[in-house]
Amino acid sequence: MSEFLRKLIVEPFDKFYEKVLHFLPMLLSSVLIFITGLALGLILKNIFLRIFRAVKLDKFSERSGLVELLHKGGIREPLSQIIARFIGWLTIISFLIVALNSLDLPAVEQILERFILYLPNIFVAAIILFLGYLLSNFFGRAALVASVNAGIKLSGLIGKIVKLSVFLLALTMALEQLGIGRGTIVIAFAIILGGVVLALAISFGLGGRDMAKDYLEKKIRGEEKKDDISHL
Amino acid sequence: MTSILQREEIQEKISEIKDADILVGIPSYNNARTIGHVVKAVQIGIAKYFPDRKSVLVNSDGGSTDGTMEVVKNTTIDDSQSILLLHRVEPIYKIATPYHGIPGKGSAFRTIFEIASVLHVKACAVVDSDLRSITPEWIELLIKPVIEGNFDYVAPLYHRHKYDGTITNSIIYPLTRALYGKQVRQPIGGDFGFSGKLADFYLTKDVWETDVARYGIDIWMTTSAVANNFKIAQAFLGAKIHDPKDPGEDLSSMLYQVVGATFNLMETYSFMWKEIVQSEPVITCGFQYAVGLEPVSVNLERMIDKFKLGISELMGIWKGFLPEDIVHFLQKAGWLQKEEFIIPDNVWARIIYCFAIAAHKNLLNREHLLKSLTPLYLGKVASFVIQTLESSGQEVEEKIESLCISFEKEKDFLINNWD
Repeated sequence: MSEFLRKLIVEPFDKFYEKVLHFLPMLLSSVLIFITGLALGLILKNIFLRIFRAVKLDKFSERSGLVELLHKGGIREPLSQIIARFIGWLTIISFLIVALNSLDLPAVEQILERFILYLPNIFVAAIILFLGYLLSNFFGRAALVASVNAGIKLSGLIGKIVKLSVFLLALTMALEQLGIGRGTIVIAFAIILGGVVLALAISFGLGGRDMAKDYLEKKIRGEEKKDDISHL
Repeated sequence: MTSILQREEIQEKISEIKDADILVGIPSYNNARTIGHVVKAVQIGIAKYFPDRKSVLVNSDGGSTDGTMEVVKNTTIDDSQSILLLHRVEPIYKIATPYHGIPGKGSAFRTIFEIASVLHVKACAVVDSDLRSITPEWIELLIKPVIEGNFDYVAPLYHRHKYDGTITNSIIYPLTRALYGKQVRQPIGGDFGFSGKLADFYLTKDVWETDVARYGIDIWMTTSAVANNFKIAQAFLGAKIHDPKDPGEDLSSMLYQVVGATFNLMETYSFMWKEIVQSEPVITCGFQYAVGLEPVSVNLERMIDKFKLGISELMGIWKGFLPEDIVHFLQKAGWLQKEEFIIPDNVWARIIYCFAIAAHKNLLNREHLLKSLTPLYLGKVASFVIQTLESSGQEVEEKIESLCISFEKEKDFLINNWD
């Protein structure tokens, strides 16, 4: 009976105790690593903040138009603080990963491995989105200015369509990078773009028929009053 | 970039000429229709006014396909001997060559400077190839102040139609005059005289990959000469009548290049213009007389429409750097009828200064910023046309003078907001 009880209760308890004894130092070292990461993250954040302020990064970002861009995106913090905070968080996350890894738990290791392998995708997607945002603003504004200078009444709409198209393209690429709805997104984008072009073609064809006729008549008959001003 | 002087035929020509006293350059691109007259006027001018000077005519061409260079090579003055009282002693050498580099007037000028430098010329002149009003006297008026008066730079002074040269009248002249303190009336006239020393100076500058290589060359030459204390004069050349410009030429690109080059020069010479408080006249050579000018038709409605379109669509861009009172004024101007449409001189001066400050502070992509000036510029031209519909040439000059004074008065605004 006592043998039975020993096998049923004492041995598993011993094994559990042994495992706890084995795990506790790892947990402790993992907590220590994480706390070190937290402290280092805070220190690095402050150091970099001072460096960025010393090299007048905020003034440069104001001049280069980055501040305008961040404001448009709803971000009001100075660029120096954003980058310093990013460095701090990067340090903390790196130490957290090391801490979790040091626990030596197969399940955690597996999740971490998958997460780490996926990280570059998130990073690349974020860069694509950021560049897409910058480019959409750039091309949208270029189209707006060019169409105003060409005297096109729908300049605002043209600018917005160009901006949206470029950003949609970037969004599609970012989602493709993340592996979300791979084929679906590309097809959806193609359908939307094709639809827009078709809609524009039909509306211009039907709606602008008289206008095109007038324009051609004026051009051919020379009815439009010419401007002889030499600007230079 | 490779120099034009490395080309074998140019080297041969240069070793044949060795050195020269006078060089006249003609930049061209598809000007076969008009360049013959210009070449003839230049040749007669040299023969008549500088018969004993060794002279070279250089045609720097941008790859014309209409036979421009052939016209230059074949144009002679054998049939014009009756005009010449003196028999020419020295021959006139001719070099017609395509230039290297970015396509544009500036690259053509660079080739002319290079040839002038290697030939050690004393005086140079450059004249446009689309001129219809050029006479042999232009060569005398552009070259003589350099050879006999020791001037380094001779800017042109013309009588132009009141609506001709509107970028010059509404932006470039008032701005450069307020900045650098010299009343050079046609800073981007296109026809200039300059010394060999100044040509050498121009060649030392590394600007040939910028807008200076295109339309920016004229303002760059004038400003560089003024800001570096070269001896400046202007010569009255009479009427300036040229072939109509290609209607396909984009106004906003023209503005971008010319105004952009002017703003770039403001960066280079900021140490200088901040100290200048008023402008002074420049010595003028030549006998001034009244001339008849061809009428210029203006489509006022189209200009005002483009201004109003700019107000409704581009205000979002301008609000980033224009003061509130100007924004408010523009918004109101967007609703004005043609009869009451006016952009006052002080408002216009402030607008240009705000664009200069925005370009200096990189508040916006430079091309977008400068091209967005086009509707405002058209608004100012429309306002000018409305105000001067019945005005004589003299009254128009007075109007431009008052605009210049506004630019000078508002200069403190520029200085205070520059840094």
